[in-house]
Amino acid sequence: MSVSKPGSDDFLVLRLEVQDFLIFEVGLLDDRKFEEWTDLFTDDGYYWAPATPDQDDPQSSVSLFFDDVPMMRTRFARLRHPRVHSQIPPSRTSHMVSNVTIDGHDATEGEFLIGARFQMLEYRPGHEQRTFGGRYEYQLLRRAAGDFQISAKKAVVLNCDSVHLPIAIPF
Amino acid sequence: MTEFGLIIETTNMNPYLNEHIQALVQPDRVHRDIYEDPALFDLEMERVFGRSWVFVGHESQVPKPGDFFCTRIGLQPVVMTRHSDGKVYVVYNRCAHRGVKVVNEECGNAGRFMCMYHGWTYDTNGDLDFVTQPEGYPDHEFDKVKHGMGRVAQWGSHHGFVFANLSSRAGGMKDWLGENADFLDDVAISAPAGEVEITGGVHRYLYHGNWKMQVENLIDMYHPAYSHESSSAKGGQQFTRRGGDKGGIQFFEKPGRVKSMDGLGTHALPNGHTWQGGLPPVENNSDDHREYVRLLEKKHGPEKTKDILIKKRHNVIFYPNMAMQELNPHIRVIRPLAVDRTEILIYPVKLKGAPEQMFRDQLINLNKTHSPTSLVQTDDVEAFARAQEGIQTSGNEWILLARKGPEERFNSGRIRTTGTSEEGMRNHHRAWLKYMCGET
Ligand code: FES
Ligand SMILES: [Fe+2]
Repeated sequence: MSVSKPGSDDFLVLRLEVQDFLIFEVGLLDDRKFEEWTDLFTDDGYYWAPATPDQDDPQSSVSLFFDDVPMMRTRFARLRHPRVHSQIPPSRTSHMVSNVTIDGHDATEGEFLIGARFQMLEYRPGHEQRTFGGRYEYQLLRRAAGDFQISAKKAVVLNCDSVHLPIAIPF
Repeated sequence: MTEFGLIIETTNMNPYLNEHIQALVQPDRVHRDIYEDPALFDLEMERVFGRSWVFVGHESQVPKPGDFFCTRIGLQPVVMTRHSDGKVYVVYNRCAHRGVKVVNEECGNAGRFMCMYHGWTYDTNGDLDFVTQPEGYPDHEFDKVKHGMGRVAQWGSHHGFVFANLSSRAGGMKDWLGENADFLDDVAISAPAGEVEITGGVHRYLYHGNWKMQVENLIDMYHPAYSHESSSAKGGQQFTRRGGDKGGIQFFEKPGRVKSMDGLGTHALPNGHTWQGGLPPVENNSDDHREYVRLLEKKHGPEKTKDILIKKRHNVIFYPNMAMQELNPHIRVIRPLAVDRTEILIYPVKLKGAPEQMFRDQLINLNKTHSPTSLVQTDDVEAFARAQEGIQTSGNEWILLARKGPEERFNSGRIRTTGTSEEGMRNHHRAWLKYMCGET
């Protein structure tokens, strides 16, 4: 489908579809359905959280997260391990996603560029609750109404370049 | 005595005589106070970080005149600069007027440094450039150096690795480095261009534990299978740590049976430096690795290249505040913040002249192993935080460091022993004692 002008019905429907999808996507993380979350990505999809707000790409410097699908599987298999000491007890998270914008699309590829803002509360019993927040940028493939795949998710955390205690759950 | 006086006395007076400190470090154990007493922490900042050579940075972080890089020695802010004379300087980050920290960005380039408070200006070697409204100081002669930001007592570099010493009475850098200098030579020669560069950003993470726990952990080959079991897959192997490698570190021989790391060996050197023997070589047939080997062979010939490719050491500790790993090259800086709080900074080390893809793989592997979200370090810092908590108990005031194996002594003063021996840690604490109770 093509995206019509902002304000048109098509546009509003699309934005709601996207918003519902994002709410579903971050909800999987909060529900610890990590494998289902991984399955939302295309085979060559990736998740990236830069280490500095102005980091141009994940290849020329280090990142907080830069996971392709195999890396996600390794990461989450570890979180399921009975002796993952740094996650005993595990972190709980609550993600909020809002300010969703449709920033562009490629009609031939069916790809949409999506922007959003997020907040993630994180609490691991025995530790202080932390608040992370910032900007999401997605590349989504739309396969059918309401049915998306993630080819890229980027989370630019406001204080990504600060010094952090361990972080286990993606933003 | 006034109450005010009392407060001054209790916070400023060092309650420790040398004999007290010596009693805390015994041949096979150390007292918990060295990890949890704020008064000892203050003394460490003065005596260990103030008397030992410490790692500051790498010259490639300040390539051009005017470049600066801010860091700390102990708790003291310093700036490493490249001055207009092309030389590197290590300068206290402090205004000579009323003490304001002058340089406030982590790194950058400046013609001069100007203090924000009253505008005094300094050259990039720390010399005083000018004082604003000088007519207000009719009785004062300003000296470029004496009224500059102040340079640290000594500094030097080896293959671009810059170390500094706050004490003018300490011996020279080369003596302090000892055989660790050979390691830096090995690192440099493993780059086809013959030198390395610090680039590719930095991983920073925090833990709620004493700084010495990280130093000890770097020479601890007893812990991996237990602490990092969750990072090993079926077959008892950890994921690979280098692009193109065919396998990772073997933790288990078979399910439930830990593979001993004794064979790697622990090396304890004078001045608290330590290293492990290199991990067993892993097959790598990737195009990038082959190209890398070809570049080395072109320069050094096949014999020498074979030798260069054998990693002789794993973690190499430059006691007290830096460690380097050659397998997936990076520097680790240990930055004490408080007695129970430490920041770790991980800087990728790029082998200049090697295929670009090798460095990209290196970064991705560092995300895996050494980021705040890593699958490895997070379990180490969990151990440090739990140790900091555990030693608060009153049943046992000692930390046991008694594990040992057969020892071999070399003329250089180096001791070689088994990989899981705690000799490396005992070595740290011997150096600690020397600095804490010594004269310089
Ligand atoms: S404190 Fe720096 S100019 Fe006054
Ligand atoms: Fe470890």
